[in-house]
Amino acid sequence: MESRAHRFQANAADSLANPVLQANLRTAKGKFVDKRAIALRELGEADAFEATREAARAVRDSVLGDIDLWLEKFEENAVARGAAVLWARDGAEICRLVAEIGRRHGVAKAVKSKSMLSEEAGLNLALEASGIRPVETDLGEYILQINRNEPPSHIIAPVVHKSLDEVADLFHSVHKTPRKTEIPALTREAREVLREHFLTAEMGISGGNFLIAETGSVALVTNEGNGRMVTTLPRVHVVITGIEKVIPTLEDLCLLMRLLPRSATGQSISNYVSVLTGVKRPDEHDGPEHLYFILVDNGRADVVGSEFRDMLRCIRCGACMNHCPVYQTIGGHAYGWVYPGPMGSVLTPLYTGIENAIDLPQAATLCNQCGVVCPVKIPLPDLLRKLREKQVERNLRPRFERGALKVWAWVARHPTLYGIGARLGVRYLKWLAGGKPSIAVLGTAPEWTKGRDFPAPEGRTFRELYARRRGKP
Amino acid sequence: MTRRADILGRIRAKLNRNPENATAGRAAIEETLAARVQGPRPPVDTEKSALVRRLIEKSLAQSSTVDTVASDAEAPAAVARYLAAQGLPLQAVVWPALAGLDWAGARLAVAARGARDADPVGITGCFCAIAETGTLMLCGAPDTPATVSLLPETHIALVPASRIVAGMEEGFALARTELGQLPRAVNFVSGPSRTGDIEQTIVLGAHGPYRVHLILLAQD
Amino acid sequence: MRVALFVTCLVDLMRPKIGFAAIELLEAAGCTVVVPTRQTCCGQPAWNSGDRAAAAQLAKKVIAEFEGFEHVVAPSGSCADHIRNEYPVLLAGAPEWQARARALAPRVHELTDFLVRVARLERVPGCFAGRVTYHDSCAGLRRLGIKAQPRDLLARLPGIELQEMSGAEECCGFGGAFSLKFGEIAAAIAQRKCACACATGAAAIVGGDLGCLLNIEGKLRRMGDETTRVLHIAEVLTAK
Repeated sequence: MESRAHRFQANAADSLANPVLQANLRTAKGKFVDKRAIALRELGEADAFEATREAARAVRDSVLGDIDLWLEKFEENAVARGAAVLWARDGAEICRLVAEIGRRHGVAKAVKSKSMLSEEAGLNLALEASGIRPVETDLGEYILQINRNEPPSHIIAPVVHKSLDEVADLFHSVHKTPRKTEIPALTREAREVLREHFLTAEMGISGGNFLIAETGSVALVTNEGNGRMVTTLPRVHVVITGIEKVIPTLEDLCLLMRLLPRSATGQSISNYVSVLTGVKRPDEHDGPEHLYFILVDNGRADVVGSEFRDMLRCIRCGACMNHCPVYQTIGGHAYGWVYPGPMGSVLTPLYTGIENAIDLPQAATLCNQCGVVCPVKIPLPDLLRKLREKQVERNLRPRFERGALKVWAWVARHPTLYGIGARLGVRYLKWLAGGKPSIAVLGTAPEWTKGRDFPAPEGRTFRELYARRRGKP
Repeated sequence: MTRRADILGRIRAKLNRNPENATAGRAAIEETLAARVQGPRPPVDTEKSALVRRLIEKSLAQSSTVDTVASDAEAPAAVARYLAAQGLPLQAVVWPALAGLDWAGARLAVAARGARDADPVGITGCFCAIAETGTLMLCGAPDTPATVSLLPETHIALVPASRIVAGMEEGFALARTELGQLPRAVNFVSGPSRTGDIEQTIVLGAHGPYRVHLILLAQD
Repeated sequence: MRVALFVTCLVDLMRPKIGFAAIELLEAAGCTVVVPTRQTCCGQPAWNSGDRAAAAQLAKKVIAEFEGFEHVVAPSGSCADHIRNEYPVLLAGAPEWQARARALAPRVHELTDFLVRVARLERVPGCFAGRVTYHDSCAGLRRLGIKAQPRDLLARLPGIELQEMSGAEECCGFGGAFSLKFGEIAAAIAQRKCACACATGAAAIVGGDLGCLLNIEGKLRRMGDETTRVLHIAEVLTAK
């Protein structure tokens, strides 16, 4: 997917001005945040979440420290059960490999359950271009697909930005059915439309929540059942997932399954957890005859072992964005690429180029609510700050900002000069306020005064007042 | 250079991989795989009747319905009762493994095969049931096809009480012991399918079954 | 106890009375307060902007000025956190300075935490009656564990009624340079904070970090609210 992260400021302004989006974000926030908190209490007494996420962090880190060896072990066990394991360096290679597989097996239609990696690669458009019809089956992704391939705005709830009315209008115009007004009726309509595709598609494409090295399996975590349909009925199954998704054992899957659904949707467990290993046996009724894993790099290999390596622990739960004050205000599309919120603000620059996503790491208050809720303890504010540092090192900051910061830092190391400047500055601001408690328009800080007043200073600095008081007998 | 060699090569460079630490690393991997360390687990009372109670409680919380009979001999009648109460036809596709039960005696027309789109009801057993979360563990095999719990709108599962375990860890441990290697498809099912994609409102019955009914076999 | 006051650049420039209130509280707790006169800023704006070099230079200045004291107290969770927890990180390239930063760290405190846990202030010198609500600043809460301490101190004021706001622990949208670069987003976040605060019916919004308070106050006044006061906890605890 082409990144529009460079348009962040404009995108964010559009989001702020969109009342439907703002209402939906408010509703979503309450549901995701509250449900997660309730679900996590099931883990046990006060420290249970901390203990569980520390164990999860340790498992993820130990794999990432030897990820090459773990990938080889996964590959060995997957191949032993009849799967083919392919490797893709970037989105273009993903698209080529899937198209080749499709051609080899005479695929006319592919049903897809959710794969963020296929979004990274823009797979659907590539499949259409090669004569294979892709059909999204995750309800949210399906809605986006029939809305002219609109991008998702959240990694778990792709159409959190849409209202019921918008979906009803869309189904009415695309399906050419009478317009429904209730959510269950719309869901039923989608079920019926998609059912036909499940039954006739030659290929199923899925992502992979986790790759299990012990058994060469993929674990799929879904609620709708589309993940099961896509991997049970078609004769070819393609799993597209990132190289960082390997975990060692089935026990590790159990551990992560205590954290993932609770962190994502506040469920104790997702409706379906499918652990899929190898191809259909000759005497089995269902399952794919051909299973392909496409293990994807697309920027991940470069992050391994780097100062940003903590980010690779991510299990794609979405808790960080659900709790982020900035995401809660502007929604996901403003971030311009596949991944929004705090994790998107780290991944988009890392995977699409730091220079192509300048605003994302800057558009954060570093409040660390994301870090506090992350089920694998990724220090997101630290990573965002490191990306800011990288921008400074590569001279990507606006000249005015660099200059102002340098001047300020220099003056701050020269207390006498600083004191003079401070005394002048606060007197000026006090005068600007003209006796009122705050200043409505501040030419030197227009971004501040766009939406807030600037409170007037007292008019004297503490240092000068303290010096004066100490001088008194 | 192949794509594989390129990707692994770059990873190895970032990790400062050399033959010594590769040997050590591979040994560590084998140790980890053998150790099968479990993470912290929430408290679950493992006393037999407590497990049953918890399975029932959690299954109801997932919007399944639950009935209890003494043994599998009474299961066909319980299925017929449920279907009649739901206003559903007394007709189902059933796991071949369960074909030996007296379905005809309960006036149920069953077909022992994989499910097809038109089958309204699917009857399965389960490999085991996870009390912690109210979850059925279903292992696909020629006589326990995965489609029976997936395609029909109604899924009925017979759950022997002796097969109720505390957590997913116990389920996998049983699979290792009893099956040797994992079957092609292990499906953990927790209630009817659902989606919350439209306005974060949960709706039951997405692509999988609309309703899931458990019949506990108390003495089995 | 001999305590050095790290007054913070915002207090120095915008609200000196907070600095004097902090001194009064520390003296009420029996401390001798020294104010190193050449202090300017802890350097957090440079660090958060990615300017490691400038952040390190300011860190060294602060360490040199303050390391001689038994305790260093700041009326700000974010400044105390920066000095205590970030200095050792940002000085990783200068091992000698890093060691000095680590030696200083355990002696650096946020004001309310110091008063409650270290100085064990018994009686607060001020008088403040009425309903207030407390905003938990992010760094203080999530990095220093400041939650009970300010509430503990406020509760000692006879006549005060603390009404918690929903979302008290949520960010107010200040974020330092963030509010200067993404003003509209910051204002929208601040609006939510103000709405939650005002819904309590509190006469005053109280907090421990002046950056947050300026942000909240600025938004309130722009929303047309001229009456709700926005006060630093030091001001409330020493109110006459």
